[in-house]
Amino acid sequence: MSTQIIEMREALRQAMDEEMARDVRVFIIGEEVAEYNGAYKVTKGMLAKWGPERVIDTPIAEEGFAGLAIGAAMTGLRPIVEFMSFNFSFVAADQIISNAAKMYYMSGSRFSVPIVFRGPNGAAAQVSSQHSHCVEAIYGNLPGLIIIAPSNPYDAKGLLKSAIRNNNPVLFLESELTYNDKMEIPVEEYLIPIGQAKVVIEGEHVTLVAHSRMVLLCIKAAEELAKLGIRVELIDLRTIKPLDIATVANSVRKTHRAILVEEGHYFTGICAEVAYEIQEHCFGFLDAAIKRISQGETPMPYSKTLERETMPTVEKIIAAVLESLNIRG
Amino acid sequence: MKQGPIEYHFFPSDTKSLIKKIGKETLIHCLKQMLLVRNFEIRAESAYLQGKVGGFFHSYMGQEPIQTAAVQIMGKKQWWITSYRCHALALLLGATPNELMAELYGRATGNAKGRGGSMHFYTERMLGGFGIVTGQVPIATGAAFSMKYLKQDGVAVCFMGEGAVAQGSLHESLNIASLWNLPCIYVIENNQWGMGTAVSRAICAQPIAEKQAPSYNMKGYSIDGMDFFNCFAGFSHIFEETKKTSRPVLVEVLTERFKGHSISDPGLYRSKEDLAKCMEKDPILSFYKTLSENGLITEAEYEAMDKQQKELVVAAMKFADESPWPDPMTLGEDVFAP
Repeated sequence: MSTQIIEMREALRQAMDEEMARDVRVFIIGEEVAEYNGAYKVTKGMLAKWGPERVIDTPIAEEGFAGLAIGAAMTGLRPIVEFMSFNFSFVAADQIISNAAKMYYMSGSRFSVPIVFRGPNGAAAQVSSQHSHCVEAIYGNLPGLIIIAPSNPYDAKGLLKSAIRNNNPVLFLESELTYNDKMEIPVEEYLIPIGQAKVVIEGEHVTLVAHSRMVLLCIKAAEELAKLGIRVELIDLRTIKPLDIATVANSVRKTHRAILVEEGHYFTGICAEVAYEIQEHCFGFLDAAIKRISQGETPMPYSKTLERETMPTVEKIIAAVLESLNIRG
Repeated sequence: MKQGPIEYHFFPSDTKSLIKKIGKETLIHCLKQMLLVRNFEIRAESAYLQGKVGGFFHSYMGQEPIQTAAVQIMGKKQWWITSYRCHALALLLGATPNELMAELYGRATGNAKGRGGSMHFYTERMLGGFGIVTGQVPIATGAAFSMKYLKQDGVAVCFMGEGAVAQGSLHESLNIASLWNLPCIYVIENNQWGMGTAVSRAICAQPIAEKQAPSYNMKGYSIDGMDFFNCFAGFSHIFEETKKTSRPVLVEVLTERFKGHSISDPGLYRSKEDLAKCMEKDPILSFYKTLSENGLITEAEYEAMDKQQKELVVAAMKFADESPWPDPMTLGEDVFAP
């Protein structure tokens, strides 16, 4: 098997490129995706290769172009919609929520909506309150949406390809801070099935559960903890919805402890859901209270020091693990 | 700045020559379709009052000529879409009274398996009844986009109430459709009331299409929705023009809503005199009168036709009543497409 070392943005681009070659109904639409080559250069070179009929710049009109793409999906096409930031999806929320999520069920299974909404989610570096929100907990409350949040280029490519082939609306959440991350991945085509978590590190003392960029923090925390002889089992959810609780539960039954990490806020967050499901499936196995490390309950502040204070960090994760094991740090 | 007197320039039409052009068979068919819609709405409303139907319920009574003429001219091969006031469009596009009544009754045999209700009717080419004001407008724009992308002949036809004109997504859609040459016919059915808010309190510039279309570099037309012949002439011209130009167009059809916004709206904001005056203009009766004056139908034939449509709908009520409820075991099915 031949391999290539590529960045996250290139892995995403390859996924779209391969699927556009495979299926003429697939096209890319969004702000600055074509002539500007993408605000984060994920669609670099796509216009030159596929032309303006399949790589389509839109005016700044999120509700208009998201709704247009949903209508296109209902009538035979398979759009990939890029949001420059998932925070802009709020402008299009009525279309995503009232139309995309509900259409297949509401129409008596007459009209499906095969569409991918993708783009950076959550915080970047100091982009303040209106550009930093994590949307997965908000959209997670809506039956009919699939939500994917990969942490590395390998998963991102395989999952995005699966998302494009799926016949349902998929929110594909990327992290701006990982677009430069490099990884060795196969050159040959591969797919990763939606709805499967991955055990990133096997361990026995405590289970860490995270998704997207938080997985990278957990890996660092696990490395530090290993020096103390603490073997952490780390699970990358990869898909938020449908949630692969079986993989999480199997791990917690083994380790008897769970620490959940999420970039978004505490209240009604993804961790709240995972924690509920752990107690439902593993109540008798737990030796300690489940802990969460999430973002504080304030809008995202601009200043570096405040931003760092509110966000999950490697130190906070380590402290939570030690506390769970009743070890003084 | 207060608007001055509003002057509509309806699409020109000559009833006499249209009668000849359209021909007896089609005219009688259209009358029959309008009577089907009218009878469906009357009976469905009575079923609602008997407690057989729940939820919101928006009647199309008084607006029948608009969608009847549009569907008659453009046929079932276009993409069609409308708001929650969607019973008529589904009937006109071939959904049976049985499946629609069963949907209202919430039965397994319903048009959307009992999941959609009054606001969410569908056919093979009807993308819905949409429950959120203007929610269907970007979707219709996308249907027109698909036709262009797939190099298919045809247009998307998007109905909305005049209340939708105040929403931002209409602006976004018209701008994009015009920029990208999308073949979409946007039809504003101005029944003059957005729930209880008179159009003059919601929309700053009327006639809506005549005044607002030019700002999108589009053509705008006004049609008299109370006159079947004017609807027929207007939509014929607009359809041919849209097919030729592949450009979007904005159409305002001036009409009357005979009922409240929804069934739970007693319409206290309209005087009894006003309502009686508008109901005197009943477009079905005036259409019948014209046909009768031209010797195309007798009173006995009209009454027989009305009775036949009524019986069809009464039979649909029986069908719905006797249809099974959805199996609770199916609750979780079809949240996701396979």
